[in-house]
Amino acid sequence: MIRIAQLSCGPEYSGVQQELEKAAVMVGAELVFPEVSLDDVRNVEERFGIEVASGDLNLAMARATRIVENPDLADAVFVATCFRCAEGAIVRSELRKYIHENSRIPVLSYSFTERTTAETLLTRMEALVTTAKFKGLLSRERQTGLTAGIDSGSTTTKSVVMRDNEVIGTGWVPTTEVLKSAEAAYNAALESAGVTRGEIEGLGTTGYGRHLVGKEFGAKLIQEEITVNSKGAVFLADAQKGAATVIDIGGMDNKAISVQDGIPGTFTMGGICAGASGRFLELTSRRLGVDITELGKLALKGDHQKVPMNSYCIVFGTQSLVNSLSAGSRPEDVAMAACHSVAEQVFEQQLQEVEVKEPVIMVGGTALIEGLPRAMEQLLGLKVMVPDYAQYIGCVGASLLVSGLVED
Amino acid sequence: MVKVMVYPPTSMILSDLVERTGHEALVVSKEVRKKVNTAGLDSPPLNMTPEDPKKGLKYAAVDVPSGVRGRMSLLGPMIEEADAAIIIMNDRCTLGCTGCARTNELTRFLLRTKRIPILELDYPADELSARRFVHKIREFLEGLN
Amino acid sequence: MKATKYVITGQDSDVLPSDIALKIYELGRDINVKETCFGVIIDGEEEDIEATVEDIRAMDESNIFIKDRGFPPGDPRRCRGHRGGGARPGFYMMQYESEILPLISRGPASEARGEEAPPKAESVKRPGLAELEEMIKEEFS
Repeated sequence: MIRIAQLSCGPEYSGVQQELEKAAVMVGAELVFPEVSLDDVRNVEERFGIEVASGDLNLAMARATRIVENPDLADAVFVATCFRCAEGAIVRSELRKYIHENSRIPVLSYSFTERTTAETLLTRMEALVTTAKFKGLLSRERQTGLTAGIDSGSTTTKSVVMRDNEVIGTGWVPTTEVLKSAEAAYNAALESAGVTRGEIEGLGTTGYGRHLVGKEFGAKLIQEEITVNSKGAVFLADAQKGAATVIDIGGMDNKAISVQDGIPGTFTMGGICAGASGRFLELTSRRLGVDITELGKLALKGDHQKVPMNSYCIVFGTQSLVNSLSAGSRPEDVAMAACHSVAEQVFEQQLQEVEVKEPVIMVGGTALIEGLPRAMEQLLGLKVMVPDYAQYIGCVGASLLVSGLVED
Repeated sequence: MVKVMVYPPTSMILSDLVERTGHEALVVSKEVRKKVNTAGLDSPPLNMTPEDPKKGLKYAAVDVPSGVRGRMSLLGPMIEEADAAIIIMNDRCTLGCTGCARTNELTRFLLRTKRIPILELDYPADELSARRFVHKIREFLEGLN
Repeated sequence: MKATKYVITGQDSDVLPSDIALKIYELGRDINVKETCFGVIIDGEEEDIEATVEDIRAMDESNIFIKDRGFPPGDPRRCRGHRGGGARPGFYMMQYESEILPLISRGPASEARGEEAPPKAESVKRPGLAELEEMIKEEFS
């Protein structure tokens, strides 16, 4: 049973502690509260470096010092404070860094409201537990045998077939009905690889629909996208040794993952915000009357500074773009402004919560929209690479990891 | 017999001294007791649900963190009932129900603006100040009758 | 409704937790008693508990302190054994106040003996600016 140490302030009083416990149980873990003494709390300024006004935050920091001193107390750490509490957000960030720098224990950090449910936390908890439980599997660097992966995403369903560490077939369809789309993508991949379903030694599924698809297709591995995408990304970018940062902006959400020696460490996942995902770029391309595949090239010719954006929100953001077009702005500038808006939101939120280390790898279907990686480069001041098969990182990661299970 | 709210509302010393003098001490553990004994609710550890931060909207606006509003849903009714209060100014190791500094500040503020008799003092650090501490409290409590 | 209270004995007390338990059994009310290292936890119907509290306090007025507890004794929702080892938050506050208890105990004891109230604390005089400047000059010369 994976023990996740809870370092928190406020979930019991927000009425969401039960949801945290439920999420932990759903992923085969339990929340624990390792022992800490009154003196640890009293001396937290000396032990951790700061004492704040709120006692529960001091208790959390004291607990962190205990866990770092004795890593056997927990397999993973979950840091949670109320959304909108500045004191909480500062302490949360410092706790995450402290655990990350002083131990090998994976940490998940989250700010909750009274509306947080177990479902919201599920993917994050799953990733945390995977990182804690499957270090062996996650350190796998080569794909062996003949395996396949299906990524059942909210917007698109992708599939790959791999043999002896190479991608030999791919399939890509828009997601309509989950199982039908998975069937279509998988068949396309098998066909392009020139193999039959029976020959596949192992199948891995990921994405929102992973459980449904995994069950139906008898997958040997059903894994959430944080682990699998980051694994696929560093594999494709040939960055499995040393540090790397993976930025995955998908159709409906976004993630940032710090990877070390091919193993995902700290990660953050943005809430469902259409303005910080492919959805916004889709809307923009429709408004500009170009195909989404052309938006990137168009954006590269534009200057985002010529189009002021008042809001990251997809509704108000689109309004800004429309206003600019009516005022005579060039489509190129509008396209780049949209890319810049998405990149900037991810930069200001997710990328402040992980250690950004080169190489920076952008993945997901949106990475193929050239304006987006360019905008991210401008914001980070670092080179951003987009590997081949960037939109297939999920299924590549799943296919790679499942080959490890097949071998066993 | 007067209802005296103690701050910190978890203080053993204050609630004991209040009850010793024959008054009723308003302590948060009594609110917690009501919550954990509510039949049909199973939301560990305190049987608090997302409805409680909503009840806390009476004391703090919606953009105030849920933990503050949730704690206020426990403390607010106590403040409303209080006819007098004793407040320790140099509180430390306030955790759990008193683990949020913003909630504590709001509690002290609401008590002060209520225009009820209030005694403010510090935890004693030595025997002499402890004797003054107990004496002031006794005087205050007896004066409430 | 059922109520639960802590009965805490200060360090100066001659009364042991087992003495308190015995007293409660003698009183014959329907009350559960759980002995701990710092005193006892008692639990029963509110009226029985309120009635018992006065009798217990009478055993050692100055050194016995009584506090309400929200949870019944041994409740798994807050029990150390069920939560991976850590004490519930309320425990630390009690531990903190327990350290001052010996000081506090002597207060009621003196009051009970009818002793005079202690003199008001002398306010500490802060050094003026000129004095502070002198001190700095001396130290750094």
